[in-house]
Amino acid sequence: MVKKAFGYTFLYLVLLLTYVPIFVLIVFSFTNTTYIGDWNGFSLELFGRLFQDEEIMIALGNTVIIAIISAFVSTLLGALGAIGAFYSRKRNRAILENLNQIPVVNAEIVMALSLVVMFVFIGNTIFHEQIFSFWTLLAGHVVISVPFVYLNVKPRLQQMDPALYEAALDLGCSPRKALSKVMVPQLLPGIMSGFLLAITLSLDDFIVTAFTRGPGLLSGENTIETLSTLVQAKIKKGPIPPEMRALTTIIFIVVLVAVILITIYQNKNRRKIRKGRDY
Amino acid sequence: MRFSLQRKQLCIPYFLFLILFVVIPILFIVFYAFTDSNGYFTFDSLISFFTSTNKINVLIQSLLFSVINTIICILIGYPIAYILASKEFKTNYVIVMLFVMPMWINFVLRTGATRDVLTWLNISGGEHPYLATMIGLVYNYLPFVILPLYSTMLKLDKSQIEAAMDLGCNRVQVFTKSIFPQSIPGLVSAAQMVFMPTMSSYVIPEILSEGKVVLFGNSIYIGFSNYQWNSASFMAIIMLLIVGITMLITRNYTEKDSGGKSSKW
Amino acid sequence: MENKNYIIELKNVSKIFEDETIAVDNFSFYVRKGEFVTFLGPSGCGKSTTLRMIAGFEFPSKGEILLNGKNISNLPPNKRPINMVFQRYALFPHLDVYDNIAFGLRLKKIPVRKIDKEGKPVFEIDKNKIKDIKREISLTKKNKHLNDDEKNEKLNRLNDLLEEAKNNKVQAYTYKKLSNQEIDEKVARALKIVDLEALEDRSIDTLSGGQQQRVAIARAIVNEPEILLLDEPLGALDLKMRKDMQLELKEMHTKLGITFIYVTHDQEEALTMSDTVVVMKDGVIQQIGKPKDIYDEPKNAFVADFIGESNIYNATMFSNKTVRFLDHNFACIDDFPVNEKVDVVVRPEDIIIKNKGEGMVQGKISSKIFKGVNYQYIVLVGKNEVMVKSTKEYNDQDEVGLDIEAESIHIMKKDFTTNIYTDAWINKENMVMIDDMPFECNILQLVENSKEEDGYIIDKKGKKYDFNDADVVAEIPLDKIEIIDDIESDEAQIVGEIVDSVYKGDHYQYIIRTESEEDFVCLSTYNYNLNDKVGIHVNKEDIKLRLKKEASNYEI
Repeated sequence: MVKKAFGYTFLYLVLLLTYVPIFVLIVFSFTNTTYIGDWNGFSLELFGRLFQDEEIMIALGNTVIIAIISAFVSTLLGALGAIGAFYSRKRNRAILENLNQIPVVNAEIVMALSLVVMFVFIGNTIFHEQIFSFWTLLAGHVVISVPFVYLNVKPRLQQMDPALYEAALDLGCSPRKALSKVMVPQLLPGIMSGFLLAITLSLDDFIVTAFTRGPGLLSGENTIETLSTLVQAKIKKGPIPPEMRALTTIIFIVVLVAVILITIYQNKNRRKIRKGRDY
Repeated sequence: MRFSLQRKQLCIPYFLFLILFVVIPILFIVFYAFTDSNGYFTFDSLISFFTSTNKINVLIQSLLFSVINTIICILIGYPIAYILASKEFKTNYVIVMLFVMPMWINFVLRTGATRDVLTWLNISGGEHPYLATMIGLVYNYLPFVILPLYSTMLKLDKSQIEAAMDLGCNRVQVFTKSIFPQSIPGLVSAAQMVFMPTMSSYVIPEILSEGKVVLFGNSIYIGFSNYQWNSASFMAIIMLLIVGITMLITRNYTEKDSGGKSSKW
Repeated sequence: MENKNYIIELKNVSKIFEDETIAVDNFSFYVRKGEFVTFLGPSGCGKSTTLRMIAGFEFPSKGEILLNGKNISNLPPNKRPINMVFQRYALFPHLDVYDNIAFGLRLKKIPVRKIDKEGKPVFEIDKNKIKDIKREISLTKKNKHLNDDEKNEKLNRLNDLLEEAKNNKVQAYTYKKLSNQEIDEKVARALKIVDLEALEDRSIDTLSGGQQQRVAIARAIVNEPEILLLDEPLGALDLKMRKDMQLELKEMHTKLGITFIYVTHDQEEALTMSDTVVVMKDGVIQQIGKPKDIYDEPKNAFVADFIGESNIYNATMFSNKTVRFLDHNFACIDDFPVNEKVDVVVRPEDIIIKNKGEGMVQGKISSKIFKGVNYQYIVLVGKNEVMVKSTKEYNDQDEVGLDIEAESIHIMKKDFTTNIYTDAWINKENMVMIDDMPFECNILQLVENSKEEDGYIIDKKGKKYDFNDADVVAEIPLDKIEIIDDIESDEAQIVGEIVDSVYKGDHYQYIIRTESEEDFVCLSTYNYNLNDKVGIHVNKEDIKLRLKKEASNYEI
């Protein structure tokens, strides 16, 4: 009993420590001081300043656009890749599987550097100018997220009844239609979780972004800033900008709501399945 | 004339993508690592790397940081994963989510917050660079350890544990003879999630030590910022080698391949 | 040319998979319109592969499949008017009952004669047909199982067809989809046929196995296919449900008038439901016939053993229409040459059990089981076991007499008498290599009156032969192969797996298959299970060798 209590205390302590930095930011987002630790009375001023801060808004917009586009591309490539590999011969599948594993295990900075080196080379030899742009950034983001889409779709394929596809053909689907009408709906949970993971990885990324970005998107002629690169540039020089504290609060609330919704959705599904079994 | 779309052909775009954006770039790194700025073959990068005490020190320091970080994360994460996976823990799903949730808040922002809080507590990177970096690393990588360990622990063969008890093992023996051996695959993947990323991390040491602690990732980043493609590429090769070695060591624990029947359609 | 009554015809169809295994071997067979045909056989006999070729999931490596006289061998499944009920139903879990059934209807395109403004039919070149023929040509070119002559012959024929299609205009069609109302009506009708009217809104995972089964059938028949294929559809149901469904399927068949092709390994299912049963083994048709004919007149020991319970004995034709087995001469109807070794099949219910002293042969009951309608006895006659089913009650260990009437005795040509290996060869040590394993043998039998010296064979004239690498045919009689239980022991010359066993009264006949797929047929009185790993031992003297080339080729 004592041991158990000890274990639980430990667990909650670690959990609490995990949230300290975030909660500190959230608490101090409701005052208007420059440094955390100084409390200047309750104020929502930082939230107002946040939305007027063009720099942050542009970075935020860029981040979201890149995340969505790269997640879409990754999902398409990765899901089709997983389906194709699953029905390929064993040797071909092994090759693809091993290639897929490279970005997973490789250090992100090595991936980033290798892409930069290639882009520089292509720029110098073919275009005779730097080719860094939104497109190189997109390629970088897809590289880091696509293997995880593949890995999320694969187990769904392994669980799927192989006769479903044949049944679709038998009932008159062309192979293309069978794919969209039967395979994709069956793989949807895997594809969705792959998509969400791809978004998360893209939102969070700093290294690949810093290496492969060029001018474009909302930044226009300037080098694309994402939230990660902007925050990094700011905190290198000083404390987290006060407006960012407000942003943290907003992000936290969004994440919290999303997590709650997902939890509710999953519980609902679980109950549904149980009902089915009882029948 | 094509007669029909075969399912196995769907992976061709992905295959091409991987070749183009994963394999070829790595070949470029290999090329740059063994050439000079004019594109001629040379061992200069290799020689300058191994003759520079500075760079060797960075390598050793990075390895040390990685090992220590991995050990600390596992020491903290293992009991947490074990408690979370135990069946008395009814609300575990929510708690697991709580452990994962910080990962959805921008990682650079979190790192900055950690630094600001540590500074507030008078553990500033300027005065305690090693301690601050270590705290930042553990803080960031702990969830990556808990998750794989948790999912392994969920799959522990309970009947094996009961059998061990039945055969007269005491609690310590049950752990050493049954639980621990079964959780080794989870430990391996947890260690993989921490070790390599620590070595190559850039933001955490840069921000938390205020630039005083330089790990391998920072080294490569500096090379990149100063347009030293060749030496940066050589360091990347060293990283690749370390990745390869860890893969070889841990390959016995990765799962077996299983796929569908290769088919006409 | 083609009989109009044949809805589907398989002509010399073979299927060879990529790993070179032959799943179906030279399969020729037809189905009449409206027939209920069952492919019956143990797992791996090629019955499912045949069905999948008819459905279009596999294409034959050789041969042709004709539907209403038209070659559909290489037509994809979605273009065949054939639907299938899958083994585990393969219902789409993301759709409810209604949508599952309507799935095929929504894809269906109804051809409508194309007419111009004046109401005259429009004639156009049939582009789809040209496309089909072109595809067929490219597939034929790639087919590596055909030899050059076969390929050229087929290509010429296809090119002729192509020219014909290119030059002739035919009635053109436009296609329209079914309206929602039509779909509604058809689904409702299908639901009624399978008795599931109330369940159309239910999701698949809330249905029981039996209900899922019905949905799967409804989903197939709603498309009004010309042929309904059923791939062991009752396999996942429990016994009671299976019995009910058997009757219902049979009823459905009569009501719908669709041709059914059914695949099963359950002989009872096959006999109850079908008009025609095709018994298969190792990709080869063993027997085609009406259920009663197959039961009463099995063509070989395999069919007899697989269909129903039976007593199978090694026998010899004693004289005209008299066969000897169980140490007794029985009168029989079948006529075989005198002294020929044959297999005899007697169904247990055809044996008449009598009191001690009566009957043709005498035996002793060694086991008795009450089976509900009758008793099943095992009677020992000499050292042979005879299975008898009878309503008369005797006690265990009772001595009884047995009668077998002439018409109850089915005589079949013996399927094996000796193992023949045509690709054996002699190695350096003068051992014979069978299946690439060395067997000790008497190499001297290759040359008359010879002796061995330093590994060479010297004949009486003093000629020297070196048989190293010589190709030979090796023969081993069935009863000379000894099964070794301990596969690690030195006795075991080769190791294999038991893939077939037939009980023949006092012994079993086993087929032992090695890893490289060579078969050894042997007899043993011991009982082994299928898939048991055993070793084989053959005595040196029991291997008969014959040179493929003249001995003079090996003279030195």
